Amino acid sequence: MKRAGALALIALALAALAIYPAFATGYGVRAVLQIFMWIALAGSWNVISGLTGYVSFGHVAFFGMGAYTGGLLIAKTGWPWPLAALGGAAAAGLLALAIGGPCLRLRGPYFAIAMLGLNEVLRALVSYFEGLTGGGNGLSLPTLDATVPIYYAMGLTAAAVTAGTYLILSSRFGLRLMTIREDEVAAEAMGIDTFSHKLVAFLLSALGPGLAGALTARDQGYIEPLSVFPLATTITMIVMALFGGKGTVWGPVLGAAVLFIAQEMVWARYPYVHPLLFGAIIVAVVLAMPRGVLGLLQLKFRLPRTI
Amino acid sequence: MAGAALEIVDLRKSFGGVTAVNGVSLALEPGRIYGLIGPNGSGKTTLFNCITGVERRDSGRILLDGARIDGLKPYQIAQRGVGRTFQVIRVFPELTALENLLVVTRGDHRAAQARALELLRFVKLEGLRDEYAGNLSYGQQKLVEFVRMLMREPSLVLLDEPAAGVNRTLLNDLLDAVRQLRDTGKTVLLVEHDMKVVMGLCETVFVLDHGEKIAEGPPGVIQADERVIEAYFGR
Repeated sequence: MKRAGALALIALALAALAIYPAFATGYGVRAVLQIFMWIALAGSWNVISGLTGYVSFGHVAFFGMGAYTGGLLIAKTGWPWPLAALGGAAAAGLLALAIGGPCLRLRGPYFAIAMLGLNEVLRALVSYFEGLTGGGNGLSLPTLDATVPIYYAMGLTAAAVTAGTYLILSSRFGLRLMTIREDEVAAEAMGIDTFSHKLVAFLLSALGPGLAGALTARDQGYIEPLSVFPLATTITMIVMALFGGKGTVWGPVLGAAVLFIAQEMVWARYPYVHPLLFGAIIVAVVLAMPRGVLGLLQLKFRLPRTI
Repeated sequence: MAGAALEIVDLRKSFGGVTAVNGVSLALEPGRIYGLIGPNGSGKTTLFNCITGVERRDSGRILLDGARIDGLKPYQIAQRGVGRTFQVIRVFPELTALENLLVVTRGDHRAAQARALELLRFVKLEGLRDEYAGNLSYGQQKLVEFVRMLMREPSLVLLDEPAAGVNRTLLNDLLDAVRQLRDTGKTVLLVEHDMKVVMGLCETVFVLDHGEKIAEGPPGVIQADERVIEAYFGR
């Protein structure tokens, strides 16, 4: 009964979001598109960091990788943008496999720092190979107004990340990922190949940002190293996932929606207070409810992790 | 020795200038309970860690049922049939008791769940199956860790201080469980400080001191061994 109710609610929300562009203003569509993007990013970060406990401080690297791959495929080879977006996801996945090998053998803060470094390296590389990427001048894509189709594509990305998280969390694969977070030494002693599990989780967590990056590149029509590799994007997705509840299905969704809306409202009224408020939220969440809103409810009311 | 469940040959391991295990050789016959004792710092836990692959040995060989396992990764050794519990409890606190047991299972979910519930019943914890392991008492966590290790049906069971911090009733249950393991053909090696437990349970006892095996034999003989008394109480 509960399950049927939840499914009906989800179907209703999806239907409302699907017909939304027919009624909304241009600003409304862009705002929801942004929320979709943050859901995809926070949800993806949750898969590696919320489940295995390997905190990635450079997850925007996959977003940037997707943005540049997708952007180049569109600008230089003339691929249609949906295909280029899939190319962006594939490139981000390959990057995750390549760097996961060395990085996922590092534990605790060393992994976080290695990921931070990776992002800086990528940004430097993109700036350096000017001939291909346009360097610091950025990369312009051919003009195309595809905001509404991209709205749907980004929505699908967010839905896929959320549904994927649900499938992982309700599987024994998901349990094994969590044993890495809980106690990696004990997990190994139980015969769990923790490295392979981490690598698969890392790969999965790179696909969403890769897609979102490529879609964002198409949507904005112009990208530059500073706009697609900012540390602030990583921080924002982390805060959203933490606020909503890491290690849950709907935590990143809730965090992305609430914090984005709050940010927009505050941004519009008090531009200078905005970073201050965001910082205050980080401190408050970490101190008062390190498990986030849903994590707290889950513990208190003994709800399943799949909320 | 042919047919040994576990054979260790001239094992050495040092940390910087400290030699933790210095040329230890021993062999365990299948289906028996062995004790490993020695003063603090005598190399017991390091020996455990070498067997389970948590530490890499410097030299020497470790054979499980005749096949080399030294050099393998911890998860590979576990998959070959070595189960262990830890000196400090290592349950997965934010997984439920049942989930703690389910993590290593594959294939048929229902059969796995039935097996896990059977083991929880075995230690009288089936009523707490959906409780987070971290919320259980110390003794209950110890039992969860114990049966979790059994989910893989290990042929060799390593127990690091199973009696530490456990009350009498629970201890008797645990000791019964260990004997039952032995009766089903598993080989057990336990590190323990509680001499009553060691003497009552083990058929053969190895004594380590400063990383070397100084004695080996039945509990009664070991208790009277002068070198052992000296290692524990000094001259």
